Amino acid sequence: MKYLLLIYMGENAMSESERDQCYKDSTQLCHELSTKGQFVGANPLQPVATATSVRIREGRRMVTDGPFAETREQLGGYFLIDAPDLDEAIAVASRIPAAKKGTVEIRPVLEIPGIPRNEPAHAG
Amino acid sequence: MLYLCLGYQENEKLQSMSDDDRAALVDECKAYDRMLWENGYCLKGNALPPAAGAVTLRFEDGKVCVNEGPYAQTKEQLGGILLLEARDLNHAIQLMSQLPAMRRGGALEIRPVVANTEEGR
Repeated sequence: MKYLLLIYMGENAMSESERDQCYKDSTQLCHELSTKGQFVGANPLQPVATATSVRIREGRRMVTDGPFAETREQLGGYFLIDAPDLDEAIAVASRIPAAKKGTVEIRPVLEIPGIPRNEPAHAG
Repeated sequence: MLYLCLGYQENEKLQSMSDDDRAALVDECKAYDRMLWENGYCLKGNALPPAAGAVTLRFEDGKVCVNEGPYAQTKEQLGGILLLEARDLNHAIQLMSQLPAMRRGGALEIRPVVANTEEGR
């Protein structure tokens, strides 16, 4: 079963050197998960100041600067993993380096058959 | 540029659709996904079941607390994510404005991904 792990943390919770170390440790975790066949994807996001939100109302598009919701901590990145159950997903979430400074939301992923993007990427 | 697109919707709205309407919407979504995929815009995407199934881990002073429910209680809840390759923000907005799933309301947050990381190229 796939799980999406969303990492929320204060954007100033880490110094630049802590952030560099966090990227290194996270990359290491990605490789570890990959050797166990549990890695699907992961990405850190640029600061929330770069977020854009789009809403469609009665066929009209509204574009605003900023995230969907203003929260004390901000979405800073995510991991997408393949885990046998929620307990294993929680165990992986507990090991995410950035998590120690914030909060991780774990969401099981819905498998919809017939969606091309969920199949392996074609070369090139 | 690589963008993470987060779609937020009211779950009740989707549940209140008739089966025929929902089936038609799913077909439209699949067709649009196929277009994104075939043009190399969509790298990865996943739909999520209702946020009631979320679990949240909070870390404080080295301790972990496990809570049921999503990170934030909002009227609309995260229902799907999509990793999008677009020329620039305007292109990303243009592609995401036409998502059939968002026509019934909701909000879509677009976040640029940090480059030179595992998937950020």
